[in-house]
Amino acid sequence: MSDESRTQGKTSRQASRQRRGIEAWLRARLAGERGGLAVVFAVGVLDAPLMIGQAWLLALIVNAVAIEQHGLAAVMPWLWGLLGLFAARAAISVFKDGLAFESAARIKQRLRDDLFARLVAAGPAAAGKQRSGAVAHGLADAVEAMDRYYRDYLPQMLLAAMLPIVLLLVIFPSDWVSGVILLITAPLAPFFMVLIGKGTETLNQRQWRRLARMSAHFFDAIEGLTTLKLFGASRRELEAVAAMAEGYRRDTLAVLRLAFVSSLVLEFLTTLGIAMVAVYIGFRLYYGEMAFWPGLFVLLLAPEFYRPLRDMGAQYHARMEAIGAAEGLIETAALEPVDRGAGDDRSGLTEPPQQLACRGLSFAYDGAAPVVEGVDLTLRRGRPVALVGPSGAGKTTLSYLLLGFLRPQAGSIEVDGIDLAAISPEVWLQRVAWVPQEPTLFHGTIADNIRLGRPDADDAAVRQAARQANADAFIDALPAGYDTQIGDHGQGLSGGQRQRVALARAFLKEADLVVLDEPSAALDPASEAAVTEAVERLAADRLVLMIAHRLDTVRRAHEILLLDQGRVAERGDHETLMAAGADYARLWSLYRADDVFGGAR
Amino acid sequence: MSDWRRLFGLLRPYRGVLALGIGLATLVIVANVALMALAGWFITGMALAGLGLGTINYFAPAAGIRGLAIVRTGGRYLERLITHDATLRVLSTLRVTFYARLEPLAPAGLQRYRGGDLLSRMRADIDTLDNFYLRVIAPTIAAALCVVVVNAFAAVFSPAVAMVNVAALLVAGILLPWISYRTSRARGVERRQALADLRATVADSVGGMGELWAFQVTGRQAQRIRRLSRGLIAAQRRDAWADAVVNAASATVSRLALWGALILAIPLVARGVIGGPELAMLVFLVMASFEAVAPLPAALRALAETKAAARRVFEIMDAEPAVAEPASESAPPATFDIVLRDVYFRYEDAAPWALAGADLTLSPGRAIGLVGPSGAGKTSVVNLLLRFWPYQAGAIEIGGVPIERYTTATLRQWFAVVAQHTHLFNATIADNLRIAAPEANDEQLHAALARAGLAERVARMPRGLDTFVGEAGLQLSGGEARRLAIARAVLKNAPILILDEPTEGLDPASEAEVLAALAPLMRRATTLVITHRPSVLRYVDEIAVIEDGRVIEQINPRGADAADARFWAHLRLA
Repeated sequence: MSDESRTQGKTSRQASRQRRGIEAWLRARLAGERGGLAVVFAVGVLDAPLMIGQAWLLALIVNAVAIEQHGLAAVMPWLWGLLGLFAARAAISVFKDGLAFESAARIKQRLRDDLFARLVAAGPAAAGKQRSGAVAHGLADAVEAMDRYYRDYLPQMLLAAMLPIVLLLVIFPSDWVSGVILLITAPLAPFFMVLIGKGTETLNQRQWRRLARMSAHFFDAIEGLTTLKLFGASRRELEAVAAMAEGYRRDTLAVLRLAFVSSLVLEFLTTLGIAMVAVYIGFRLYYGEMAFWPGLFVLLLAPEFYRPLRDMGAQYHARMEAIGAAEGLIETAALEPVDRGAGDDRSGLTEPPQQLACRGLSFAYDGAAPVVEGVDLTLRRGRPVALVGPSGAGKTTLSYLLLGFLRPQAGSIEVDGIDLAAISPEVWLQRVAWVPQEPTLFHGTIADNIRLGRPDADDAAVRQAARQANADAFIDALPAGYDTQIGDHGQGLSGGQRQRVALARAFLKEADLVVLDEPSAALDPASEAAVTEAVERLAADRLVLMIAHRLDTVRRAHEILLLDQGRVAERGDHETLMAAGADYARLWSLYRADDVFGGAR
Repeated sequence: MSDWRRLFGLLRPYRGVLALGIGLATLVIVANVALMALAGWFITGMALAGLGLGTINYFAPAAGIRGLAIVRTGGRYLERLITHDATLRVLSTLRVTFYARLEPLAPAGLQRYRGGDLLSRMRADIDTLDNFYLRVIAPTIAAALCVVVVNAFAAVFSPAVAMVNVAALLVAGILLPWISYRTSRARGVERRQALADLRATVADSVGGMGELWAFQVTGRQAQRIRRLSRGLIAAQRRDAWADAVVNAASATVSRLALWGALILAIPLVARGVIGGPELAMLVFLVMASFEAVAPLPAALRALAETKAAARRVFEIMDAEPAVAEPASESAPPATFDIVLRDVYFRYEDAAPWALAGADLTLSPGRAIGLVGPSGAGKTSVVNLLLRFWPYQAGAIEIGGVPIERYTTATLRQWFAVVAQHTHLFNATIADNLRIAAPEANDEQLHAALARAGLAERVARMPRGLDTFVGEAGLQLSGGEARRLAIARAVLKNAPILILDEPTEGLDPASEAEVLAALAPLMRRATTLVITHRPSVLRYVDEIAVIEDGRVIEQINPRGADAADARFWAHLRLA
């Protein structure tokens, strides 16, 4: 065995093990819904005696007319009986399908609730690592893609396991030879299918890899189109795309060919089964070994016997689709709740806090290298502190620790002498506000968005907050003013305007601690001035931590912390740090000082 | 030309095979109906013969039953094989044509589309088009042929039974699926909207989880999501129950056809018009004939899907490139100085001006830094220079010649671009470099890597130049990727150099390395640098400030008048 085929065998075994794992997860979603599924199954099972009764009546009617030479009047009662059966079967079919939908709907609803609860519990730091588009697709579309699994596949599988046995129990007493034929051909079909299916699975997986590779290649070719054009290389790429498309065609056909063989076997056995039943019954009738009507009865039931087997193909597709969809969800489903601590509400934090002091603060994500290490930091009212440093230095994580989004693994945060760990998260979060780099404006009106932290605030309070955030003027200039819809149907706001809506939220909440993460991209000059003024107003009498990118913000901060790889490299106000002549001064000089432009400023 | 005609046009080269496929599909269904009907006739005849009420030649029917079983299964296999082969060939050709049509559109014509969207058109949507033949055309025609053949046969014994059966087949195959399709389509908009709202709200919640926590509204958001999901399910519920009713009705119609056939045929037996075996035959024939119309509801749905997919594919294939090529070219310019004079430009007719009277002058061997707030028009300048977009008024000249006088291919030869997001292909280092110079030998590649300061790093890679970029374990850092782009620029050796935020997102050490690699290139070329970093601007000769689509200042930062210049306001720490 070559190395490659060995690895392939291994990955294919791993993949099928993984699929079984995912299917176990899918089945575990049934918890609490087994009753619903059982009802669907029970209703479905009710159809079996009716279907058998229908075949029985039909056989009686044909027997009476064809063999016993009766007229229409003699068989009319049976014909009325048939109509009754039709009506009952129709009603059962409606309820089976409808109830299956309801059962699947409850599972989907619960799954969405559960996934979102996990997302919330995992906290902002974990959410920040997720691709929001992928998660949204998961909760909306992937959950939908499981619909058929719960609605069709599971009930149908249960029925498929049950119906052939019921039919055999009826057929054997009528004609044991036919029973034997069916009994032999039915398991033979899945047996051959499994045999061929094994080959298909390996081939399928190779196909999946090819497909993934082709997708990646096409995506690469599309994303890189501009680059290719810059180098005049896009025509060359066309040849590669053509080769890829051709390879994909050949591979797809190879997989299909095997799939066709597998359905050929299935169809051959089931069709041949019926043909053999017909021929044997014919000859047994000819030799007078059995009566006509049981023979006809069995021939009518034979296609029904094979039907669940033949439907398996379509159901298999629903199963694969659900497994594929679940794969995209499992990451979200496996999110662990972040440790929020469990302070109590009798912590004594009754007055607005005056001071927040961190000592030896350290934090690392899941056993990785520490992101924040041994940081000391004190915030006082009206004395904003600025965090500067390259991306990845730990600025965001440090701010999450103060906000209570994360709990430090070492060190302490004290609010007026009370350990933050002793304060319940709910109580502490009432005191904080956060203005991120790119604020999220939720679907709704501008007023709704400003009210985020205080849904009951009246219009006057909303306007007052907007005025303080310098947002009043531009909101009033919008056609719908404060009722302007934001989001995909609504109007887009510029970066500076979004910032000011987020600042208005913080004003309205009257938070004691405000964490501001400045946008690193430049705002237009008018916006920038308006934001600066609003931030100063906000910082005047609050505990404020700013993650700073703008030179002016840094300069005005009461204290500056230069973070480097999670540690405080330098601290002090601008003048002190410049006088120290170390990293901060060097950083600053890089941007402003004489050696940049030879003494212009 | 309508989308349907175009789809038929795509199938045309394979029409022989595809017609054969339809013939086989018809044969397969007819064989099954015949098998069941013959089986019914056979056992009844055998029973009558066994009772001494008739005679029967049993060899032919018994062989016929087995023969039909083989025709059915073999025919199905053959039909699938040849039709799938033909349609896959059609799709493969279409995919290549699609890419060939896509290429001239980039980037101007494609800015409305995300890469993932284009990929799904090129892959999933084109894949969906195989439904047009396999799930729409073939089953529909085959169904029609079967209905005719089977009922014509039935009519030989009883025209009335045939008529009842045709009517039932039309109801089950066309009327009911059509009703179900119409009701579901009417609510389709509502369902899609509910799904889109749910998706958007979840995406907002993930992006804004910090705000949800900080403002303690996670519970409210969870409730909103629950409500949206309930709304979606409510929209589906009506469809689900309607479908359940239609499905039951469809099955009932086929049973009623059987019932009608019995009512009509039984008196015929009594009157001796047909025999007992013919009655059993008609019973099985009517029951089995509904297999012909079983794929029609799916065909109707596939028709709608195919139409939507075709529209998405053809929309791209029909788009016109934004930039027209000149019929004949001017001679290459003698020098590569660039002038923008009073340029007006917007991305769409109704959009605000991205450039509104922009003037800019670049000279060979000199570097100009372009600073300004986001949205002021910096990237637009680059897009126009490279002729990715046409502009509405003003002039852009290279060496005194308007850039419209050159084909885009010629013009772009003269530019080397290093951007914040340079695309590295999922290929080897050598492949990525040879995009710039297909004929370059390994020594030239090594030399270019050395100039970009990457020679040692590549030498340490397991397979050197043949190492795959992005291969497990080999993730290039941001600075290394940027330097690979610089090596490409070195290989291209173009007279004009565009640097678009060349050090954005790099740590100070990487930034220094990248700048060291760029400096010699900048000295030789006409250079435009977009940046807000003072560390980069120290390499430029002049700084131009762009605000609201106009260059409001072009100044020597080392000059005497630079102290109060506007550009200081646009510098950023990181």
